[in-house]
Amino acid sequence: MAIYSAEHRQLMEMFNPDRHQEFSEILSSLGEFMEKKILPISPKLDTGEAKISVPRKALFDQGMCRIPFPEEYGGLGLPFSVYANAVELLGTADASVALSIEIHNAVAEGLSRFGSEAQKKRFIPALLSGKSLASFTLTEPASGSDAGTMATTAVEKGDGYSISGSKMFITNAGEADVYMVFAKTKKGPSCFMVEGDAVGMSFGGDLKKLGMRGSKTSEVIFTDCRVRKENLVGEEGKGADYAKEILHGARIIVAALNVGIAQLAYQKSVTYAKQRKAFGKSISEFQLIREKIADMKTEISAGRLLYLYASKIKESGGDCSSEASQAKVFATEMSLRVCDSAIQIHGGYGYTTDEVHRHWRDARLLTIGEGTSEVLRMLIARRELARSQ
Amino acid sequence: MKIAVCVKNAIDETELKLDPSGRPQTTGAPTKMSTFDKNAVEEALRLKAKLTGEVTVFTVGGVESKKTMKEALAMGADRGVLVNSDTLAIDTLRTAELLASAITKGGPYDVVLCSEGSSDTYSGQVPPMLGELLGLPFVGYARKVEVNAQTAKVERSLEDSIEVVEAPLPFVASVISEINEPRYPTLIQIMQASKKPIEELSGDQLSPPSPKGHASVVSMYAQPSSRKHVMIEGTPDEAAAKLVDALMKEGVISK
Repeated sequence: MAIYSAEHRQLMEMFNPDRHQEFSEILSSLGEFMEKKILPISPKLDTGEAKISVPRKALFDQGMCRIPFPEEYGGLGLPFSVYANAVELLGTADASVALSIEIHNAVAEGLSRFGSEAQKKRFIPALLSGKSLASFTLTEPASGSDAGTMATTAVEKGDGYSISGSKMFITNAGEADVYMVFAKTKKGPSCFMVEGDAVGMSFGGDLKKLGMRGSKTSEVIFTDCRVRKENLVGEEGKGADYAKEILHGARIIVAALNVGIAQLAYQKSVTYAKQRKAFGKSISEFQLIREKIADMKTEISAGRLLYLYASKIKESGGDCSSEASQAKVFATEMSLRVCDSAIQIHGGYGYTTDEVHRHWRDARLLTIGEGTSEVLRMLIARRELARSQ
Repeated sequence: MKIAVCVKNAIDETELKLDPSGRPQTTGAPTKMSTFDKNAVEEALRLKAKLTGEVTVFTVGGVESKKTMKEALAMGADRGVLVNSDTLAIDTLRTAELLASAITKGGPYDVVLCSEGSSDTYSGQVPPMLGELLGLPFVGYARKVEVNAQTAKVERSLEDSIEVVEAPLPFVASVISEINEPRYPTLIQIMQASKKPIEELSGDQLSPPSPKGHASVVSMYAQPSSRKHVMIEGTPDEAAAKLVDALMKEGVISK
């Protein structure tokens, strides 16, 4: 079955009645590309036998990152939901590559929303073409979703700032050409762009992760790292607000990514259940396995609808903070349940084979990264309680 | 250099379903560009890159075919000619007649490329028929094509050998999948493809259908293939010996 399936096509038609054919052409071509060029090397990315830079560059060349950005900066000017759908397909092809691309594009999104015209021209076209790779550095060793408690500082020095502190669990660290860095000035958390070769920036070792092993994650350390004034994004002291806004979009994308992971685990489970025999018949004949298949499929469909719904709200310029969080909480927890069922259906082979359990390992990151499920539930409840006043 | 390349919007064989009596359900089945046609388009684009010129895509089919046409344009072809006709209702000769008429109308072309056969019906008849109808030399099953100003050198992949032939321009060739690896259009190319010109021609006006001499499909069904199931039992050594005996008996291996 094609990665961009008949089901995707049908949803695209419902969500975009006017331009669905065009969007489907793009996504089915991109899906075919991922199926042929990325899916086959995905096991090797997990074991470290293949390097992420190759598939990532191939996707840059195809133009995947351009999808949701305005044409004047090298984008394709297509709706955010089309980009979210593309990330779902990439999540199926390889979750690590999808994570790396998702972070990269979140930086481009931040710049396009909060950057000056000069910054947009300077950074965005190079990011969309893949000429430069971006990294997003917000989390710290002792500060996560409570971004206000960050300890990294940016002190005015000369005609710029001096950044000191450290950032933890940073995707694309060491590989990226530009870093979006959040650090406190005397006005509060602020957002800076730091070039990869900046003096005073160094990296910790590659963190040994449970999953998402194809992507690089490490600590980024700043020691009197100098940035020029023109690298301050937006206004001083507004960094926490910018980060929040960027993360709303990123959460929708992470939801899509996890739907993609779940989809592949589900497909493998269906194939295996039909083929594996027990007591003289396929295990797909047993009601308890059928229940799992039914639940997996139902939950994946629900996750997909949620991220598409949140995308549509974002596209229309509405406040998607609650819906984006709902999509992420549900889709990430859902994909863990689906990947767990996939292991159960595969039995001993599920527990001992990378090709089954790596999907669970990959999915496991995202109930933590980019807003934990706990924090997002707080956010949803706060937002919904305020709405009902 | 003017290059024509013929493509078919074929039924996606990976999505084809059979009805209970074993007949493929062709009506409403999902379609796609015939798999090997991508190799023909790719080869046309490589020739264009080497020799400079223009690539025109020809296809015979209904509205659905526009999708395949656009895919070829996204890959890099310059323009398209769509001959409207119901491909399921016409035979290979009629398809070749329509393609030949359209190619003659827009011609002359220096090179006409097709693939060895379509991924749905795979009769492989249209390319040689096209050569005959256009009155041009035909070279089938090409695995390498080199074109110079006057002639072309083509390597043909035969069952147990490779034949190298020379053909004067213009000529018709059918290519096999090993000739190249088709490119994937970028998203920008896909979006720009809709701006490239597609000329639509009515099949019946282009070449009035002749009343006789055409084949019609009486029925189509999937041939059930039966397999021998032999269970070999015993210890690994005994089973291996029995397997060797059985394979020798079948003539699969010999002493």
